[in-house]
Amino acid sequence: MDAGILGYGLYLPYYRIKTAEIAPVWGKLASDIERSLGISQKSVAAMDEDAVTMAYQASLDALLDAGINPGKIEALMVGSESHPYAVNPTSTILGEFLGIGHSYLATDLEFACKAGTTALISLAAMISSGTFSTAMAVGSDCAQAKPHDILEYTAASGAAAFILGTKHKAIADIVAITSYSSDTPDFWRRDGVRFPSHGGRFTGEPAYFSHVENCGRQLFEKSKLTARDFRFAVFHMPNGKFPKEAAKRLGFTEEQTAASLIVKDIGNPYTASSLIGLAAALDQAQQNDLIFLVSYGSGAGSDGLVLRMTKNAGKKRNGANYQERQYRKKYISYLDYLKFRGKI
Amino acid sequence: MPVTILSGVTSKFGELWDVSPRNLVKEVALAAADEAGFALDKIEAVFVGNMLSSSLGGQDHLGAFFSEELGLSVPAVKIEAACASGGMAAHLAYLAIKSGQYKNVLVVGVEKMTDHKPEAVAAALMGAGSEGEREAGATFPALYALIARAHMLKYGTTEAAMAEVSVKNHFHASLNSHAQFTNRITRQMVMESPVVASPLKILDCSPITDGAAALILSSKPLKKGIIISASQAATDSLGLAQRLDLTTLKAAVSASNKAYQEAGVKPEDIKVAEVHDCFSIAEIIAMEDLGFFPKGEAASAIEKGKTQLGNNRLVVNTSGGLKAAGHPVGATGVKQLVEVYQQLKGISGKKQVPGADLGLTHNIGGSGATAVIHILKK
Amino acid sequence: MISPVKIWRNQKKIREILNQNGNIVSFTQVFVPPQGFESQAPYVVAIVKLESGRRYTAQLVDYDKKNLRVGQKVVTVLRRTRSAGDEGIIPYGIKFKPLI
Repeated sequence: MDAGILGYGLYLPYYRIKTAEIAPVWGKLASDIERSLGISQKSVAAMDEDAVTMAYQASLDALLDAGINPGKIEALMVGSESHPYAVNPTSTILGEFLGIGHSYLATDLEFACKAGTTALISLAAMISSGTFSTAMAVGSDCAQAKPHDILEYTAASGAAAFILGTKHKAIADIVAITSYSSDTPDFWRRDGVRFPSHGGRFTGEPAYFSHVENCGRQLFEKSKLTARDFRFAVFHMPNGKFPKEAAKRLGFTEEQTAASLIVKDIGNPYTASSLIGLAAALDQAQQNDLIFLVSYGSGAGSDGLVLRMTKNAGKKRNGANYQERQYRKKYISYLDYLKFRGKI
Repeated sequence: MPVTILSGVTSKFGELWDVSPRNLVKEVALAAADEAGFALDKIEAVFVGNMLSSSLGGQDHLGAFFSEELGLSVPAVKIEAACASGGMAAHLAYLAIKSGQYKNVLVVGVEKMTDHKPEAVAAALMGAGSEGEREAGATFPALYALIARAHMLKYGTTEAAMAEVSVKNHFHASLNSHAQFTNRITRQMVMESPVVASPLKILDCSPITDGAAALILSSKPLKKGIIISASQAATDSLGLAQRLDLTTLKAAVSASNKAYQEAGVKPEDIKVAEVHDCFSIAEIIAMEDLGFFPKGEAASAIEKGKTQLGNNRLVVNTSGGLKAAGHPVGATGVKQLVEVYQQLKGISGKKQVPGADLGLTHNIGGSGATAVIHILKK
Repeated sequence: MISPVKIWRNQKKIREILNQNGNIVSFTQVFVPPQGFESQAPYVVAIVKLESGRRYTAQLVDYDKKNLRVGQKVVTVLRRTRSAGDEGIIPYGIKFKPLI
């Protein structure tokens, strides 16, 4: 493939809420929840934030990091499961605010939590084919969960953006891409309904694990690599336990997943989950390091990517990295959390 | 040829549930004609000051609306300059007479605000500011709070000093039978009242009021008549952000300079003044903009009672100002003129300033985007 | 519902003001919101002087009490501004975020 990442950026909301703040409201023990989900806090978007505003801030970061003019972007794809409109593209609102101009392909993607990685691999293929020379893939979500539902502890908000181009100036080359899809109704939301529904334990083995493991093995085959070859392994993180278990089953060590386990700081920002995890790994990756990524989107499917860091890796970046971005935060009460959910 | 004020009348100001704008205007217009000693049919033009009839009541075309109510078919028009609508209506009426076209003109200011809930009124009043201010949710208390904070930072003005403005104005209003609030208040009451937009508290803010006021202006000279010896206006940026100095209203400074010049007088000659205290800080800034006190010194002067009834230099807001008499937005500018007119005529009763022979009115639109200044002479 | 044409026209102007640093010139915390802003109260409105010299009025977001001071450094960010209701086009605009 002739495609690589030229730069990346991410955005995290300022607010956080702890599991320990939510659990007592419903008469649960925080320690029980934390133990079963492996999550102790999540990020919360303010009432004036949405997938567009977060995508914008992450994209600014990415453009700064890649050092390119927004006018150079020839294709822009935004993946989300919380696009502000059912009909009216997030991607063109974003493109307009970024000053991309008008000569670009814009589209919104939707596939639960993997819409962002689907944007990434689709654009990588388009660049590799010579159709476009520079493109941007964004995953951005402002997740909502029904009060008392288990998702209330994990559904979070955030965004990540990746600028793609040919290998020539990349910090990471895209070595292999693959995808695994099926019709598996583990988590869904009907049109017009406010909160999603899910199949409880059905979301585990037949859904997340089946797709992630199968996609992972497909990726090993395609890239002709094994778990041992990689420095970093990044997975979609619906909670603190699933990615660790998936990593183990595919033969990865805790060390390999450590850098990308952003779920412990911010919970699950849906389409931005594996993408922010990837950003966190890229922050630390050095020349020749290999990165393995498998995402997961309910419904269901997994996208897989292998990246190899180039000689441009580790060069001075203009944007802030994940650790800096997640440093400044404020913890809120459950009352404020409820207030924030009433979007402007 | 000077412009004479033949009569001036205000309605009761307050929450007038039973009374419609028609009733209000008819009441004050008839009373004004009566005081002037003739019937309404002598009126040759009607100038109506009003801000919210359209946004709150869906009624435009107020000139025709009220001329019909008064049984007239003379030229009639609504003038809108936010909270300076009344003063601006008087200014244009003054110019109309000066043009020689009309001999007797009726100026009426009217506002009906209590038909709608306060949140809706607050939103409508934001029409006096800029779109950016509306987008930010910057209410009028918020805009004047931004001004107050700047004044406090630059001159050390305190919340306690601002509170004294409200205390003084309530004292004056206790002597005014037409005021919305006639209760005396204390500094402590102001300081402990709920915060509306920090640092302004509810007792720093003028209320929502219904009311009307009318004046009859004439080209006819009267022996011992009260004349308008200056009528001037100016504008400044619509929004606060563009002002380089938040501690002064440039339009007020400019209009008052022109007014002092037109009348051939100086600030120290003014004995009685009605100024636009939409918020307590606004009166402090008015004192400085009008040249009554040096910049940064008005607050302590007010605290020391230097603008209260009883002192023999200058008395400000004998009506109770906007804070205590009430602020029916379009009517205020006209009411201010009526108050000063009555003071100069010596018919202000318990709130009379002895020997008042020169007065000034200061009417502001928005956060200072329009300023209308009148000087009245006996 | 705000006119979509007005929103479209206004948004073209926003791009020039986005992502700029500035300092707070004055601020206030609004406890009594007007119609349309009830769910946001209390909120902070500030006048900021931007690097470009231009001054702007907007809300302050993601702040801590210690950021509420004249002179605080901020950056302009993109946020939803007014209520779009159930049917309207969503207005986006400028707000200020404190910089440490």
